[in-house]
Amino acid sequence: MNRWLAYIRLYPGLLLAAILGILVIGIYVVGERAIRLEAKAPKTGPIKFLSLAWQQEAVTAVQEMTDEWNQMHPDKPVEFMQGSWNAVHDYLITGFETGDIPDIFHYESATIVDFALRNYLADLSPYIPEDMANDILDVNWASVRRSNGEIVGIPFLAATSIVLYNQTLFEEAGVEAPSLENPWSWEDFLSACEQLTIDRNGDKNPDQWGAAMGLRNSANLIMSNSTAFGGSFFYHDEAGNLETRVSQPERELLSKISDMLYVQKTMSPSSIGKSVTEMIPGFLAGNYAMVVGIGAWARQQVHENAGPNFRWSTMPMMKAKTQALGINTQTLSIPKTSQRQAEAMEFIQFFLNAENMTRLAQSDWMMPTRRSSLNAPIFQDSTLGWDVVIKSADYLSEGPWIGLPGYIEWKSRVANPVFQEYFAGRITLDETAERIERESNSVLARYQVRGLKW
Amino acid sequence: MTSIPSGKFLKKWLLTSGMHLIILAYLVYLLFPLLWMISTSFKTTPEIYSGIPSFIPRIFTGEHYLTVLQEDRLLKSILNSLYVGCITSVIVVLISLPAAYALTRYKTSINKAVMGWILTSQIFPAILIMIPLYLILRSLHLTDSLAGLVLVYVVWDIPFVLWMLQGYIKEIPVELEEAAAIDGANQGQIIYKIIMPLLLPAIGASVMFAFITSWNEFFFALVLLKSPDLSTLPVELARFTGIEGAARTGPLAAASFMATIPSIILFAVLRKWFTKGTLQGAVKG
Repeated sequence: MNRWLAYIRLYPGLLLAAILGILVIGIYVVGERAIRLEAKAPKTGPIKFLSLAWQQEAVTAVQEMTDEWNQMHPDKPVEFMQGSWNAVHDYLITGFETGDIPDIFHYESATIVDFALRNYLADLSPYIPEDMANDILDVNWASVRRSNGEIVGIPFLAATSIVLYNQTLFEEAGVEAPSLENPWSWEDFLSACEQLTIDRNGDKNPDQWGAAMGLRNSANLIMSNSTAFGGSFFYHDEAGNLETRVSQPERELLSKISDMLYVQKTMSPSSIGKSVTEMIPGFLAGNYAMVVGIGAWARQQVHENAGPNFRWSTMPMMKAKTQALGINTQTLSIPKTSQRQAEAMEFIQFFLNAENMTRLAQSDWMMPTRRSSLNAPIFQDSTLGWDVVIKSADYLSEGPWIGLPGYIEWKSRVANPVFQEYFAGRITLDETAERIERESNSVLARYQVRGLKW
Repeated sequence: MTSIPSGKFLKKWLLTSGMHLIILAYLVYLLFPLLWMISTSFKTTPEIYSGIPSFIPRIFTGEHYLTVLQEDRLLKSILNSLYVGCITSVIVVLISLPAAYALTRYKTSINKAVMGWILTSQIFPAILIMIPLYLILRSLHLTDSLAGLVLVYVVWDIPFVLWMLQGYIKEIPVELEEAAAIDGANQGQIIYKIIMPLLLPAIGASVMFAFITSWNEFFFALVLLKSPDLSTLPVELARFTGIEGAARTGPLAAASFMATIPSIILFAVLRKWFTKGTLQGAVKG
């Protein structure tokens, strides 16, 4: 006994550390036991629904629909939680790892691939009613269907690229916008850009540019629009493994944009460092006649912010070999750990019925995924460019990122920075291709070592 | 008759003017984003998007403030942030002050190890500890609660405040305490009647630091708080931003300006303490 007391006198810190250690372990063990018991107990309280709607109209629409559901189903209430696109990934990752995650969450098909590969997402196929299965376009289903037939999200809005143009500048330059049936080829587009690039004060620097693109984070834009040239970037080898190749079809769009910036000088150099959203003020100020490859949702920004005399419209993306556009859908998914998958899916069925999907698409200014919503009279109107957006449903094709493990890492660590360097003129096209292939394959290899297959 | 040589005078004048110019440039650098944000918050939406930069709004409007004030959740989040910030600052100071005193005045090997550990703990990024921290807090039923968030902020802020206070305490002569002890003061009286008043500038700086850190913190609040009613201001502000960098710029600027007001008020109140305290701490650390 005395010997122990002597030790304690000699090393009081050790005693303190031991007491603290026992205390922490004790609290942890007791707490974990309580959590396990709690997890086994049936869940009560509202179904938690994380939505990423952010435009005021869209937030109101989601809130109204949730309220309608809660009035009709007081026994299965849903709590609407508004998330943020900027932070949702970290939020979900920690949620999945800790098991504390909303019962329904809104995200996008390209990104939920990783969650599905880690087995975080419930298979929704048993819950999907026939009318929903048949009404949502197959290409949209393809964005969320795994090779084993599992459906890991319900696609409800599709992102699609369009061209915004300034009608006044077109008329002044004598350029006629293409029709939906006869879209411009790239040659038509380049020639129009030359007509629309004007040096008004004779200082040999254009004051008005033919076109602008948001090239700061251009991976999605390049990937989606390279499909029209037959580019895919990702290919399966004979063993079924993914590999990256940047050959001629992938290089076409890259070189066309670069030429517009540095050879023809018809694209505003401010495109290089700006996001698509940041191009809108310059468009409204008449600095460029077209914003190319912008998402359909951006029409809302233009509509809301344009002055009374600003006349604008939309046109479809240019036709290359085809008019294909790689698809990326916004989705609703249910975590595998949710105890109330069936109830959550009931809410999703209500939330995404044809009428509500039309409301959602209209409030978010995006393309709905249901045929019946696409045919809604409200979307046949050309005044706000809905006709162009809805027509592009005909050209949607499976995006190259579908089922790509590590897409979000590839996009942020490889594609966006390398494309930025290329468009800034710091590296050549060959160097771009070499770096994309080398760096992408290194990312892909890491994910494939883990045996993750879509 | 004595006169200042003109060359020397000119040199001094140039030096002073140069210093003032540098300070002015630094002030503009610091203040410009804030002023631009305030200006944006009073512009109409078409003017914000007009692509023509202007510092003074062509038409002043309060529409963005009205939009923000109509959103109940934003006001609620301001209250939540105030609650978290105030409680955190008080607890941080109450714990750090005696701890810093003990660590400074009583030189033992444990103290050195403790200070080393405190310093080491600062190198871990929040993302690295988030998941284990979440699990521990959950086992204590402290997730989705402001109390849990306060606990995290207290733990997060204490190391820096402790280091800061330690620097100040070192500057106070031990003789003062010895004199008080000879006059019959006990240890508690020495700390709260002799040391505390001398440490008021440092306490002001600590309160300021702890409050602003928790007022601005985003990631812990995002992950730990699940209920919309509990969210803090930075999390709420993030909801004004959307896909591909798009944002509701006007309401975001208005809400951001409103978010900076408490920090400005706090700084105005504690400015004297903060300046004096920071300078003292900087001389001897």
